[in-house]
Amino acid sequence: MTGVLMFAAALVLLLLGFPVAFTFGGVALLFGVFSEGMEMFAFMPYRVMSIMQNTVMMAIPLFIFMGLVLQKTRLAEQLLESMGTLFGRVRGGIAISTILVGALLAASTGVVGASVVAMGLISLPVMLKYQYDKRLACGTICASGTLGQIIPPSIILILLGDVMGIPVGDLFQAAIGPGLLLIAAYIVYILIYTWLKPEAAPAMPMEEGVDRKALYLKAIRAIVPPLALILVVLGSIFGGIATPTESAALGGAGAVVLAFFYKQFSWKMIFDSSIETVKVTAMVFAILLGATAFSMAFSYTGGEEVVEELLLGLPGEKWGFLVLSMLVILVLGFFIDFVEIAFIIVPILVPIAEILGINMTWFAILIAMNLQTSFLTPPFGFSLFYLKGVAPDGVTTMDIYKGVMPFIALQVLVLLALLVFPEYLGFQ
Amino acid sequence: DDKVYRLKMAEGWPTNFPIFGDSPRNMAKMAEEMSGGRLKITIDSANKHKAPLAIFDMVKGGQYDMGHTASYYWKGKDPNTLFFTTMPFGMTAPEQYAWFYHGGGMELMQKVYKRHRMLSFPGGNTGIQMGGWFRKEINSLEDLQGLKMRIPGFAGEILAELGAKPTNIATGELYTSLERNTIDALEWVGPSLDLRMGFHKIAPYYYTGWHEPATELQFLINERSWKKLPKDLQEILRVAMRTASYDMYTQSTHASGENWATMKQEYPNIQVKRFPDEVIEAMRAANTKLLKEKAEANPMAKEIIESQAKYLKQVRAWTNIADKQYLDSIAGE
Amino acid sequence: MSSTSVPLLVRLENGLNWVSDRLGTFSALLFLLLLANVFYDVLARYLWNDVSIALQELEWHLFAAMFLFGVPYTLRAGGHVRVDLIYERLSPNARAWIDFMGTMVFLFPFCLLVGWFGIDFVKEAYELGESSGDPGGLSQRWIIKAAIPVSFAFMAMSGLGLLLNSVNTLLGHHKPIYHKTDL
Ligand code: NA
Ligand code: NA
Repeated sequence: MTGVLMFAAALVLLLLGFPVAFTFGGVALLFGVFSEGMEMFAFMPYRVMSIMQNTVMMAIPLFIFMGLVLQKTRLAEQLLESMGTLFGRVRGGIAISTILVGALLAASTGVVGASVVAMGLISLPVMLKYQYDKRLACGTICASGTLGQIIPPSIILILLGDVMGIPVGDLFQAAIGPGLLLIAAYIVYILIYTWLKPEAAPAMPMEEGVDRKALYLKAIRAIVPPLALILVVLGSIFGGIATPTESAALGGAGAVVLAFFYKQFSWKMIFDSSIETVKVTAMVFAILLGATAFSMAFSYTGGEEVVEELLLGLPGEKWGFLVLSMLVILVLGFFIDFVEIAFIIVPILVPIAEILGINMTWFAILIAMNLQTSFLTPPFGFSLFYLKGVAPDGVTTMDIYKGVMPFIALQVLVLLALLVFPEYLGFQ
Repeated sequence: DDKVYRLKMAEGWPTNFPIFGDSPRNMAKMAEEMSGGRLKITIDSANKHKAPLAIFDMVKGGQYDMGHTASYYWKGKDPNTLFFTTMPFGMTAPEQYAWFYHGGGMELMQKVYKRHRMLSFPGGNTGIQMGGWFRKEINSLEDLQGLKMRIPGFAGEILAELGAKPTNIATGELYTSLERNTIDALEWVGPSLDLRMGFHKIAPYYYTGWHEPATELQFLINERSWKKLPKDLQEILRVAMRTASYDMYTQSTHASGENWATMKQEYPNIQVKRFPDEVIEAMRAANTKLLKEKAEANPMAKEIIESQAKYLKQVRAWTNIADKQYLDSIAGE
Repeated sequence: MSSTSVPLLVRLENGLNWVSDRLGTFSALLFLLLLANVFYDVLARYLWNDVSIALQELEWHLFAAMFLFGVPYTLRAGGHVRVDLIYERLSPNARAWIDFMGTMVFLFPFCLLVGWFGIDFVKEAYELGESSGDPGGLSQRWIIKAAIPVSFAFMAMSGLGLLLNSVNTLLGHHKPIYHKTDL
C-alpha cells in the first residue's frame, strides 16, 4: 500500500515544481524512512555505485558532447536546413530530417537519454527558428530520440533477452521490421499533419531565381560532413572498431575534427561544450539517482507485491492475456521505468505466455514496443524530462506533454498492428 | 520453541535466473519445510537490491542476513576469497566437494571469512565451464598474442601472461562486440547458460575448459544472524544449503546435456576444440608462477594453495584410475 | 536586516555559488579527460591491438566523478528539470517558498543521508584495501567510492546556496534563479 501512496505523493509533489531528481529522492526518503526506518538508506551507496559502474551509460555524456559541438559550430543546423531544402516544397522537411537523423542515432546506441538530449540540442533550435509549432517540434524529438530502444542495438531488447531467455541476436533481428514501421508511421503522420495544418511546419523558404541545381549542390555539401560523422559512428560499431558506447566517443572526437575543418574550432568552444555537457549529464543522472532511491523505497515497502497480485489475476486465454498484459505494461509505464518493468513484471508474464503457446520473440517485441512508449508518457516519461532539460526557455512542460500525445497514439497503433498482423512483420 | 526466524537473502542474479537462482530458492524452500515454518528465508534478486557486486558488503554490514553469490567476486576486497570458487587446472566438482567437506576446505574458507564476520558455505556447482567462444582457431601460442578476450579475474591474469589481452565489455554489449570483432573471444559458462546468450550463432569454435573446472557458488551468512539461530535451525540451514548445492550441480549437468543437444542440432557447424598442448602447458606454467607469487605475498594464501595442491595430488591419482580410465576405456564409439 | 551594501546572506550565497561553479569547471575537465581516455582506448585497441584494463577502468572512474560533481554545479546553475506546469505561473516569492521548502524537506535529508551512509562505504573499502578484481585493474577503490559522500555533501552545500537564494528573494535582496539561462 505504501508503494501506491508513494506514487500518488510523488505525482502531486512533482507538480510543485521543485527539481524532479530531488523530489524523487525526498519522497523516497519520507516514505522509506517512515515505513522501514533510516537503515534502508544504507543501500543507497551500493545503488549509486551500480550507476557509476554502468559503463553503457557513458554513451550519455559522450553523445551530448557530440550534439553540443555540432550545435555550437552550426554544423547540425546546416545539416537539418539542407535536408529540409532537399525536401523542397514538402512541408515539415526539418521534422522528417529530425526523424531520419534520430533513426541513425538510434541505430548507433540504445541509450534513450543520449539521443533525446542530443536531438534536443541539435534540432529543437532549428525547428523553432523556422517557426515550427513548438508541440510538433517537441513531440518529434522525443519520439525520434526514443527510437533507440526499438531499433537495435537496444538496452530494452538486451534486458528482455536476458529475462526471457531469448538470444539477443534473434531479438535484434526481429525488431528491425517493427522499428522501420514506426519510423514510417512518424513520417506519414508529419506529412499528413503539415498538409492539414501548413502553418505548423512551413517548408524551407526558397530563394527566388536561384538555380535549383546549385541549391541542391550546396545542400549536399552541407549534409555530407555531419552525415559522414554519424556514419563513422555507426561504421565503427558495425566494423567492430568500437563498442556502441565507445562509438559515442568517436562521435565526440569526430565532431571536434569537423569543427576544425570548418574553421569553427576554438578552445573556448570546447570548454563551453564540455561544461554544458556536464550540466546536461548531471541533470540526467540526478534523475537516475533520485529514481533509484524511489524504486528502492517502492520495492522495499512492498510495492512489487501489489503489482504481482494484480498480474497473477490475469485471465488464462491468449487474447485476453495479451491485451491485458499490454495494458498493464502501458499503464505501469506511466509511472515506473522500463528496467523495473523488464525485471519485475516480465518474469511474471513469461511463464503464462509459455503455457499459452505464444511466440516468445514476438511477445518480447510487443513488450519492447510497449516499453519504449513508457519513455513518452506523462508525467514520468524520462524522455520528456530530458528534453525539458535542454529546451529553450519558451518551451513549457505542457508543450512537451501535448506534443508527444500524437506520437504515443502512433506507437499504440503500431503496437496494435503488431498484435493483429504479426505475419506481415515476420512472425508466425 | 515455535518462534519464527526470518532471514533476508540477497542473490547476485536477476529474478528467475535459471540454475544459479534455483539453488537459493530450493534451499529456502527446504529450510522452511524442514523447520516446520520456523525458518523463513526471503530472497531479493539483483533487480531489487541493484548491487550484485556489493553482496559481500551488504551481508557484512547486516543489511542482509545472507547472500547467494560466488566467492571469487570478492578477490578485490580480500585476495584469499579467490580460492573458494574454482581454480584453473584445479579440482573437478566431486574432487572439490571432497576437499570442502573432508579435506579441510571448509575450515580454511571459514578462517578467511571469519575476518569479515561472515560464514561461507558451498552454494551450487556449474560443473566444468567451457573455455569460451572463439572467432578464430587457436593453433599455437602465437595465436594468443594480442587476442582480445573477455575473461575476467584470475584466468584473465594467466592469459595476459601469455600475451592475450583481457578486455572489459559490459554484459549487454558482449554479443554485439563478439559479432563485430571488437573482441575475438569470450568465456561465459557452458551450454547450460551460453545457449540463451546466442554466442554459438556468431563464433564457430567452442573451446573446452581449463580455467573453471568446478565453479562453486556461495552462501554467505552474517555471523550475528547465524548466531541468533537456535542450534537445530542452524543445522537445518546447513543441511538445506548443502543439499541445494548438490542439487544445482546435478541440475547444471542436466541442463548442459540438454542445451548442448539443442545447440548441436540447430547449429551442426559448431566445432568443439581443445587448446593445443603447447598452449595448455604455457597456461599451466603461468598458473604455477602466479600461484607462487600469491603464496609468497600472503601466508593465508600460501596455506590454502598448499592445501589444495596437496589434496588435488592425492585425489587426482584416484580420479585418474577411476573416472578417467572408465571414460577412456569405454570410449570406443 | 540592516542596510549594509551587500547583506551577509547574499555574500554567503555568492560564496557557495563560487564553490559550485568551480565544481562545474572541475567536472568539465574530467569530461574532457574521459573523452580522451575512451578515444585513446579505442585507438590503442584497433591500431596497436593493445588493451589496458587499468585505462578501461579509469573510464568509469572519470565518468562517475564527472556526473557526481556535476550535480551540485547544475543545481546552482538551475539546470535540474522541474515540472513547471504550475511553478512557471507563480510569483517569485511563491517560487522562493517552494525552493525553500523543497530544499529543507527533500534535498537536505536526501543528500545528507546518502552522504552519511556513504562514509562507512568508503571506510570499509579503505580498511580492506579494496582494489579491482580484474587483471591489471586499478587499486585504491576507496578513492572513487569517496566521490559518493563528498559529492552528496557538495550537493547539500549547493542546496544551502539555493536555500539562501530563496531566503534572499523573500527578504527582497534579489530574484530567484529559475531555469537555465545560458543553455
Ligand atoms: Na538502438
Ligand atoms: Na565463466
